[in-house]
Amino acid sequence: MSKRNYEFRISNFGFACLLVFSIFSCSSNSGSADTSSVKFKQYYVKGEELYLKHCSNCHQKTGTGLGLVYPPLNKSDYMDQNFSNVLCLMKYGSQGNLTVNRNTFAQPMPGVSSLTNLEIAEIATYIYNTWENEKGIVDVTEVNSLMKNCPTPE
Amino acid sequence: MKAKNIIQCVSLLILGALTACQEPLPIFGQREVVTKKVDGKPVVDTVYHTIAPFQFTNQDGKTITNETFTGKIYVADFFFTSCRTICPIMKTQMVRVYEKVQDDADVLILSHTIDPEYDTVQLLHDFANRLGVSSAKWHFATGQPMEYVFDLAQKSYFATAMEDKAEPDGFIHSGAFLLIDKQGRIRGKYDGTKEDDVNRLIRDIKRLERE
Repeated sequence: MSKRNYEFRISNFGFACLLVFSIFSCSSNSGSADTSSVKFKQYYVKGEELYLKHCSNCHQKTGTGLGLVYPPLNKSDYMDQNFSNVLCLMKYGSQGNLTVNRNTFAQPMPGVSSLTNLEIAEIATYIYNTWENEKGIVDVTEVNSLMKNCPTPE
Repeated sequence: MKAKNIIQCVSLLILGALTACQEPLPIFGQREVVTKKVDGKPVVDTVYHTIAPFQFTNQDGKTITNETFTGKIYVADFFFTSCRTICPIMKTQMVRVYEKVQDDADVLILSHTIDPEYDTVQLLHDFANRLGVSSAKWHFATGQPMEYVFDLAQKSYFATAMEDKAEPDGFIHSGAFLLIDKQGRIRGKYDGTKEDDVNRLIRDIKRLERE
């Protein structure tokens, strides 16, 4: 019994160390990529759920895409350079060619018209902070204003 | 005497286990027992369900028929390139199968489009190129009316494929991968949207090759 207690304490101690370490390592991060907040974690978890539901069939769970049919997200220069477009095409889709990492992709992407701005913010938070992406939280207020400028679908 | 019995029993068990391991894959569909005359003597034979004769055009514009697949094991499926639901997962999984059988001259892949009007030879050519797969190994079949494909899917491959305007993409079709042996018989059916089931298919291809 006492041994168990002891083990429990040790693991507790280890966990506390880890927690302190992770808080410390996050706070020592420079820039805006604050990924330690509860809000970030909520966005991220919900974003992952939505990503698996709406996006991963084509872009894959690992973000690799598929050949030259579906573009990758796990590093994508298109994502880095076209942040507001990425938000728009989640909802409105994309027709015609799209160049990602110097490859041209022609498969039309269907939009998910039912997505709310909050859900778009959550998915963006997920994809922009997974694999090698570390943008930090994509807040719904930012999405609200950017979505107003989306090219209106025909 | 007792010891001998035990030895007999154990060897029977071992033999049983060995034969169980090498049990051939099932043969799908109805079978018919027929009596043929060989050298004037009646011989009882079993006739199995096989894939009916077909003819398509592949992504290179070449005609493909049953003969293209004679003496080959092949994996068949039904899809269309503009499908947003299960096809992307099926194609991801089929690429895995492709990678496993790439260097195996005995195995081919045959993907039928169920939307031949949209999925033209040129479009399928581009699609296959984009997947990075060779047309010598993986045929994309088109060039026949939709009804022809539905009929082949249902009657020959026991796979669901039909038009349904109520569906988001206008079709319902199963995500099945069918394993066909060298005699054109169905030897396995797998869910092409499930990684585990596709692993089973990859194992069964090897098993079928050993038969």
